[in-house]
Amino acid sequence: MSPQRLPARPGEVIDRDRALAFTWNGRAVSGLAGDTIASALAAGGCRVFSRSMKYHRPRGILTADYWDPNTLLQVGEEPNVRAGHRLLEAGMAVSAQNAWPSVRWDAKVLTNLGGRALSAGFYYKTFMRPRWLWPAYEKVLARFAPGGVIDAGSAPRRHDKRYAHPDVVVAGGGPAGLAAAVAAARAGAGVLLVEHEHALGGHLRWGTKHERSIAAALADAAQVAGVEILTDATVTGRWEDNWLAIVERGGAGGPERLIKARAKVLVVAAGLIERPYVFAGNDRPGVMLSQGARRLLNLWAVRPGSRAVVWSANTAGDAAAADLEAAGVAVEHVDARAGCTVAAAQGRRGGLEQVVLSDGTRLEADLLVTAAGWTAPTSLLNMAGVRPRYDPAAARFFPAEPDVPEAGTVLSTGGISGDGSLDELVGHGEATGRLAAARAATLAHRLQVATAWAAPVDGREPPEAPDERTPLGRDPHPELYRSSTDGIVDLSEDVSSRDLRHGAAEGFDSVELVKRWTTATMGSAQGKLETVNTVAVLADATDSTISEVGTTTWRPPFAPVTLGALAGRMFEPVRISSLHDLHVAAGMTPIQAGQWIRPEHYGDPAAEVRNVRTNVGIIDVSPLGKLDIQGPDAADLLSLLYVNKWRRLAAGAVRYGVMCAEDGVILDDGVTGRLGEDHYLMSTTSSGSGAMEVWIQNWLQTEHPDWRVRVTPVTDAYTSINVAGPRSRTLLERLVDDVDLGPEAFKYMQVRRGTVAGVAGCVMWRIGFTGELSYELHVPAGFGPHVWQALLAAGADLGVAPFGLEAQRIMRLEKGHFIVGQDTDALTKAPTAGLERLIKLDKPDFCGRPELQWALDGEPGAEDPEALPRLVAVQPTDPAYVPPEACQIVVAGSDGNERIIGRITSSRFSPTLERSICLAQVEAAHAAPEGTLTIVGTDGRRRSALIIAHHAHFDPEGERLRV
Amino acid sequence: MARRGTGGAEVQPGRRRRPRYPARYSAAALLLRGKRPWPPIWRSGDLRDSYDVVIVGGGVHGLATAYYLASNWGITNVAVLDKGYLGGGGSGRNTAIVRSNYLTPDGVAFYDRSVQLYERLAVDLNLNVMFSRRGHLTLAHSDGALRTMRWRAEVNKHQGVDSEVIGPAEIKRLVPALDVTGAPRYPILGALHHPPGGIIRHDAVVWGYARAAAALGVEMHQNTEVLDIATSGGSGSDGKGPGGRVTGVRTNRGDVSAPVVVNCTAGWASLIAAMAGLRLPISTHPLQAAVTEPVKMFLPAVVVSGSLHVYVSQTDRGELVFGAAVDPLATYDTGGSLAFAEELSGHVLQLMPGLGRMRLLRQWSGLCDMTPDYSPIIGPTPVDGFHCDVGWGTYGFKAAPVAGEQLAACIASGETPDLIEPFTLSRFAEGRLVGEKGAAAVGH
Repeated sequence: MSPQRLPARPGEVIDRDRALAFTWNGRAVSGLAGDTIASALAAGGCRVFSRSMKYHRPRGILTADYWDPNTLLQVGEEPNVRAGHRLLEAGMAVSAQNAWPSVRWDAKVLTNLGGRALSAGFYYKTFMRPRWLWPAYEKVLARFAPGGVIDAGSAPRRHDKRYAHPDVVVAGGGPAGLAAAVAAARAGAGVLLVEHEHALGGHLRWGTKHERSIAAALADAAQVAGVEILTDATVTGRWEDNWLAIVERGGAGGPERLIKARAKVLVVAAGLIERPYVFAGNDRPGVMLSQGARRLLNLWAVRPGSRAVVWSANTAGDAAAADLEAAGVAVEHVDARAGCTVAAAQGRRGGLEQVVLSDGTRLEADLLVTAAGWTAPTSLLNMAGVRPRYDPAAARFFPAEPDVPEAGTVLSTGGISGDGSLDELVGHGEATGRLAAARAATLAHRLQVATAWAAPVDGREPPEAPDERTPLGRDPHPELYRSSTDGIVDLSEDVSSRDLRHGAAEGFDSVELVKRWTTATMGSAQGKLETVNTVAVLADATDSTISEVGTTTWRPPFAPVTLGALAGRMFEPVRISSLHDLHVAAGMTPIQAGQWIRPEHYGDPAAEVRNVRTNVGIIDVSPLGKLDIQGPDAADLLSLLYVNKWRRLAAGAVRYGVMCAEDGVILDDGVTGRLGEDHYLMSTTSSGSGAMEVWIQNWLQTEHPDWRVRVTPVTDAYTSINVAGPRSRTLLERLVDDVDLGPEAFKYMQVRRGTVAGVAGCVMWRIGFTGELSYELHVPAGFGPHVWQALLAAGADLGVAPFGLEAQRIMRLEKGHFIVGQDTDALTKAPTAGLERLIKLDKPDFCGRPELQWALDGEPGAEDPEALPRLVAVQPTDPAYVPPEACQIVVAGSDGNERIIGRITSSRFSPTLERSICLAQVEAAHAAPEGTLTIVGTDGRRRSALIIAHHAHFDPEGERLRV
Repeated sequence: MARRGTGGAEVQPGRRRRPRYPARYSAAALLLRGKRPWPPIWRSGDLRDSYDVVIVGGGVHGLATAYYLASNWGITNVAVLDKGYLGGGGSGRNTAIVRSNYLTPDGVAFYDRSVQLYERLAVDLNLNVMFSRRGHLTLAHSDGALRTMRWRAEVNKHQGVDSEVIGPAEIKRLVPALDVTGAPRYPILGALHHPPGGIIRHDAVVWGYARAAAALGVEMHQNTEVLDIATSGGSGSDGKGPGGRVTGVRTNRGDVSAPVVVNCTAGWASLIAAMAGLRLPISTHPLQAAVTEPVKMFLPAVVVSGSLHVYVSQTDRGELVFGAAVDPLATYDTGGSLAFAEELSGHVLQLMPGLGRMRLLRQWSGLCDMTPDYSPIIGPTPVDGFHCDVGWGTYGFKAAPVAGEQLAACIASGETPDLIEPFTLSRFAEGRLVGEKGAAAVGH
């Protein structure tokens, strides 16, 4: 039997018939089902659970719940497990985190000896010199990082997410929250009740028999009323319109699940958190808060000590004294209301042996229970715009009047709102629940009205519900924050009241500054235990009041959430074309191109190039962005977006266009064909398709909402196949009956609609990115595989073969076509790419016009340093040398130093020309044809290269396109 | 030499003035002082009705400017005004990354100077700002990104800045927690490795500059909000706008006259400029960040992924600090969002799948003033005496020392130094935008 485990107690939550074996720092121990890790260890006699962050002082149980700063433990692969909250499971490997070699004897406790110099912020005041030693100091400091161990190689767990749309969410399942949930559900609302602990009832669970019976009755009533109950779950964040993040730990959803709830009304019934008292030795194991002691005693039948001093300022503390006494612990009850405070807790080797009171009395004890008052966890209310306000008479903060319009949808009840008898708390909760249900009904009705197009509206808007709540009272409570002695204010950060006072004296005299200087409130509980004491000490030090000092901002999350739960299952869609399986069967080597997986090649890209240049090849270009544009103002839209003219584009023709941003920088390019009077099909680059859609919609919706034009993304609606090569026409003629493909009937840069391989509604563009006679087919996506296979079958004798992205990239470089984002960058204006003749300044305003006009009008000579750089085709002198893309191009300056004048933007070995070919951006002064450039390889070697006259290395006149 | 704008104060460039601290920091001083408190780090007194220079904004930029005005130029009749507490804006909300691996030669030169100043800041300010020069990795998940990394590396190397493109094996050696297999949706193909990059204690930089500036005579006034900027002779109605000159500021604590007013705000820069009748090409977006609970050190370098919109480093306290791209919508609301935490976590787990058991402890937002070319606006404006050091987007913290140093020179000498010449407000009218979009968009 565990030494500190008491005989069976009424209300205990442990199952004495189910022992669970686990290990503690490698040693086999056991606990009972229903135990938390901390209660099981405490039952086994464990007093020291951790070592403190800076001084490595021994630490024991303080609150015996989730917020206990002293019982964060490593459990298997999981660091920072709240042992005061996490239920024990058989086989857990539990170990202390911040201790070496052991939690009982920790070498770093030696820092305590130097402690007189190690006040808060000491690290800012030393280690500056010598500078070369700082990296070594830093390594030592980093060894003091608190927390557990994360194994980056540990297997990921799968986390699901859930969406919920309850009428009312009640945060907190204590008496008021339960009553609110029941009343709201009875009034017809769909209610989600979220309780942080493992069972409903709040503080009643460790209370009297009567209190436990009320809790049980309320919990039963909630079940009957149809309230959805989540235990071991926390409402952890609140954003506009009651968008709530709820973290559910260890429920049906797996290890931890994020529930995203849009609630009509949020009821905050988070209860109160007990506040530690600050005095010398207040961090010793054996110093405990009254709620911690009662939880250990009444929930898990663990005796927290054998000889106790209970220092109490309220009835909760008195109840702890009575409970301890009843359990056979010798108790010295000290009444704080009589003016006596605790001055010090003392003992050898960090333990507790003696309590010194402010009147000098010394009491022997191994347990000191303090009940100094409460902190209202107003975090969720603050996220809704409600500011906390301090009431000195009650010695705690209360939510002040809300200052946001939607405040009527955020209500609070229970201890956070005020004090009262159990009946009063339940009554306030019920009235709050009814009000919440009524407001939710009103909002539901308004939502119906707002979406009347979708469903009929039933009935009238319910009359506004009156607020029938009788405000809760406020029990007077002495203001007890700090004794005359200094102690630890933030146990997780090892910040003392002396640190705070000194910080204030050094000029860190506001709560935000002193928090940053000392790191107080920045630890595991994020200020829930520490903030008010920090504020109180600071108020004292700066001769001001708690109200004047105010608090720091409560930020989400209220309770920490694992990255796994926040991430959920990965949602990074992979896009594949309808031809994907055929590419796989054909042995493609895949490449990631943004979201798309595409064939890079099918074995030999050079052979694919040669086949296109001599026979015919087909390539899947489905990722090409495609937008269907219809309406009488479609031509205006095109004229606005592109730098060139569109009004006179004949039906049946296609045109190449370039889009620029307002700064004249090239944004995207592609061809657009006019299919009918008011009907166009636009293509964008594959990588830019998503952004272009947004770009166009932004112009339409914000600048020209009056235009009669509709833009529909159809990228996925078509499978796009480019048929390229001198024999492409012969191949297509075998599959197309209803369109005359003859060179005169269907010319270069024209568009036709027709039937391909029996598939009607195909769009055919005669264009030529590869530089060969070619047709781009846009086939209704479902028929893509059929047309692809038909092309391969019909052209077998013509030598048809698929080619991949790499072959296309080689051929476009042979032809000198630039790729937006590769050969251009975030500064490349249209003239750089040689597009002067495309830009039409004699048309109405278009995107980028002022900048482009500027660039063209005042076009400086090439010698002017302000002149825009130029895109040029470059051939290295050594035909076998392919300079890596992004290599820099330099010239020797007059001072002997080399200066960067440009870079290689694209480079490949051309199978057609059997030599290396490049595109490069260089300063205008160095861009003249026949000029020689110096390329710096990534290996640092300099190599020369020649600028050629035309962007196209191959067929500069484009004769092969126009056959 | 021109002394425009200093109110006739004696300008003495060249000779560095050393702050006279009431108490110098050192290990010996710590031991000697024991449990006695240290003297105040800065002074707060009454706001006087006249100064040579008024700096609006008590963040790292405003304080650095004040410090360099005093130390490099002897201009000490300076007040730094902040509507809240020192370092409460972007200075206290950023992710404290320092690097110089920019894309354009202008950017590289500018930030390289900043890194140099940061490297010796602890000694210069006699306060340990804990610059952790631990290396900076920008991951590439596509061949296009890899090409940009190589571009940056080649430009950096040419300018003498240590940067190199490394492959997956070397990445794994430097940061074992990263998944460099082909398994992730966007595999890690390579990275730009920048050894001089690192992280710093951002608050300490604020305090260091404030303490040093105070020791040179500069006054810090917290909770002092500028309500209006007084100007005369401007082209607007009420004498504001281009062509005018600044005469002082109106604050919630009274009027202050000053021939030089410097706008060193972030998040409100365009609103402050509007008080002088100037319109800045700035839109303000929130940038969110988050921190986890501490764990023992496992992440030895700063890791950035542009395509996954995330940057992460582990502080000396063991916490992981995350940042992302700016929120897409312009707003002054700093409430943050759940979607941010979700997306961030998803992206972090793509990079390091083993971190699913770590817990997010706190998230927050700061405001970023974005300019069209992702570069700041520094230097004089068309309102004489009114200077700007604004538009710092998401990269202001890492630039504070050089911005302060150069702006101080600009104010004191009346001439715009070469390092900030590319970043003056006039570039928007002259069509000389800076091309840092590629390196700055999520380039931490």
